[in-house]
Amino acid sequence: MDLRFTETQEILKKMARDFLATECPKTLVRKLEESKEGYSPEVWKKMAELGWMGLIMPEEYGGMGYTFQDLVVLLEEIGRNILPGPLIATITSAFPILEAGTEEQKKEFLPRIAQGQLIFTTALLEADGVFDASGIAVRAAPKGDDFVLDGTKLFVEMAHVANYILCVARTKTGTSPEIGITIFIVDSRTPGIACEVMPTTAADKLCEVRFKNVTVPKKNVLGKIDQGWPVVETMLRKGAIAKCAESVGAIETCVEMTVAYSKERVQYDRPIGAFQALQHKMADMWTAMETSRYLLYQAAWMESEGLPCAKEASMAKAYVNDVYKDLSKWAVRLHGAIATSADHDIPLYYRRSKAADVSFGNSDFHREIVAQKIGLA
Amino acid sequence: MDLALTEEQKARKQEFYDTCKELDKKKPATLVGAEDIYEDDASWKYNVYCAKEFARKGWLALGWPAQYGGKGDMMDRVLFSEARGYYGIPGVDIFGVQMLAPTLLQAASEEIKKEFLPGIASGDVMWCELWSEPNAGSDLATLTTTAIKKGDEYVINGQKTWNTGAHKADWGFGVFKTDPAAKKHHNITFILLNMKTPGITVRPIAYLDGHAPYCEVYFDDVHVPANNIVGQEHEGWAVVNLLAGFERSGISEIMSMVRGLEDLVNFCNKTTRHGRPLAKDPLIRDRLAKLACELEAARALAYRVADLQNRNEMSLMDASAGKIFFSELGERFAFLATDILGPYGQVKTSRWAPLDGVWEKMFHEHFITTVSMGTNEIQRNIIAWYGLGLPRIR
Repeated sequence: MDLRFTETQEILKKMARDFLATECPKTLVRKLEESKEGYSPEVWKKMAELGWMGLIMPEEYGGMGYTFQDLVVLLEEIGRNILPGPLIATITSAFPILEAGTEEQKKEFLPRIAQGQLIFTTALLEADGVFDASGIAVRAAPKGDDFVLDGTKLFVEMAHVANYILCVARTKTGTSPEIGITIFIVDSRTPGIACEVMPTTAADKLCEVRFKNVTVPKKNVLGKIDQGWPVVETMLRKGAIAKCAESVGAIETCVEMTVAYSKERVQYDRPIGAFQALQHKMADMWTAMETSRYLLYQAAWMESEGLPCAKEASMAKAYVNDVYKDLSKWAVRLHGAIATSADHDIPLYYRRSKAADVSFGNSDFHREIVAQKIGLA
Repeated sequence: MDLALTEEQKARKQEFYDTCKELDKKKPATLVGAEDIYEDDASWKYNVYCAKEFARKGWLALGWPAQYGGKGDMMDRVLFSEARGYYGIPGVDIFGVQMLAPTLLQAASEEIKKEFLPGIASGDVMWCELWSEPNAGSDLATLTTTAIKKGDEYVINGQKTWNTGAHKADWGFGVFKTDPAAKKHHNITFILLNMKTPGITVRPIAYLDGHAPYCEVYFDDVHVPANNIVGQEHEGWAVVNLLAGFERSGISEIMSMVRGLEDLVNFCNKTTRHGRPLAKDPLIRDRLAKLACELEAARALAYRVADLQNRNEMSLMDASAGKIFFSELGERFAFLATDILGPYGQVKTSRWAPLDGVWEKMFHEHFITTVSMGTNEIQRNIIAWYGLGLPRIR
């Protein structure tokens, strides 16, 4: 057992930290929140040159062949700094292609994803707002060499700038909700697709995507017809760990900023960090950060090693969701009024804690998985 | 990052688990909580029996250098603690094996090591800790019990308190004021003493549930050989800090909760209320799942502490964070479990008590981890002052 980062990981971490500090200052983060696109094509291009989109793709598809753990190291840095845009949506949408795609599909999409030429996203949630298969109602009906998609997806990250959308649709109504789910790789320019950005807490460009008579060729079915749900589950599991990594990075920033500010801010003739009421709260924040971090690393290591880790991934996501929200709330509270200002950086994190919470499964969803995995009937 | 155990470690872990599983079969029914060994005769006998079994296998000296009869490394200690925690097996003297031995190895003279390590490794000598006093708890350095040197002896006078198992212990290690004129933190010596020395009186203290795992110890002109010290004379405070850092990963307590959760899940699957198993109650499902997440977080942090200890990179911050987290998780677990048990949550070990009354016991025992070994508030100070570098106003 050795919980330290490898040398490669230390290099990756430093490179990412330096890059983001230069290329993605908070002024840009705020500008992107206000912008229509929600991401910077210039920064996207530079990240592609660093190989981030293809970081853990095999080299034969133009990737860098790093491990899942390495991705976690990168995403922690992204969370620390904040990076608006479709990076996580694209990386996680590549997971199902790698897992279930045909050789032809892999060759068609993965190298271009790795090079930053394609933005991908996954359309899962619908009006019900649930993360299990019972929420999937968008219909896909066969018609000649095609399928025809009808229905509405919600909370689709960055769909308005995506080149392709993985659409999780229902091709059959079966005995259980998990049966009859099929994943489609949909070109976002296909006629019949309408996209609208939803106003959200983190201004992170979640979209409503309406499919009306959208024709998708059969060759764009990803994986097996009617049997797509296990692929979605794997993506949710990996995505949950990825999102945890981003959150742990953000949590670290919240702790660091709060501790630093409490040493500078003077009231009653002393730094407010000298008051035990604040010291103990910060000690608790630090403890929450450490537990989150090692819970994350456990899940990431298991995922990397190919060990079954549905329980550990869900434990990490459920736990880190709650820590991030509560801890960033306390970061605002300990800063006081100053951190309620839109100009302050802490609220950028606080608002993102809600976005992180509902991305790849909220706590209730993951706790139900945990309940089953610990053996509750 | 690599969380994998080596093949050798896996094999040893299996041996630890197998041995504890066998010992579990001989456990007396009266042994429910960890502190029961200090009170109940059958439990104490079983404690001694387990100690001898472990000694025979060399497991009381895990992680010691080979020259003192040691075997394995610090990781083996962790794996052994896990197995004992899971099955609730005593036999490893918290004070002798877990705290004093590693302290002696780092800070004692060769002579002291040779005199005291064998008794710890063989399970023949049981120890107690003589630190707190009625007016020196969290602020331990204000202690007033004196050990005044006379010739080649110290003469001890005063009173210690909250001494777990002092009435059962053969020997005690303590801190005493040896230079009343010197400055705080430089006037204390770490002394080892035989508990049967004339002048020592041990009185049990009734704990809040009526049991008595703790004692008060009175010293009335107690003569102790002046050689029996660890570290420098008057510089015992450094030894206190060293000792306080050992074995705070909490892995044993955490594994005991892991077992507790398994048993509680089984109970919820089998027990029907309102015409359905408790396990089907969405509120119970959610609360147990939340607790399971926290328990896994505690375990992950304990491994972090163990990994640091194993590389001799102990960070006070992580040890304190781990202690706060697992001990307060113990509180939450005791409250949750006794809630789920409904009116049965208040029944002590008896034919009416579900799960042997272990949760009724935990409703009282959780204070032992939050309050002892430095209260959690002191642990938070440690993180704030030494870890986060926050200002300390005196």
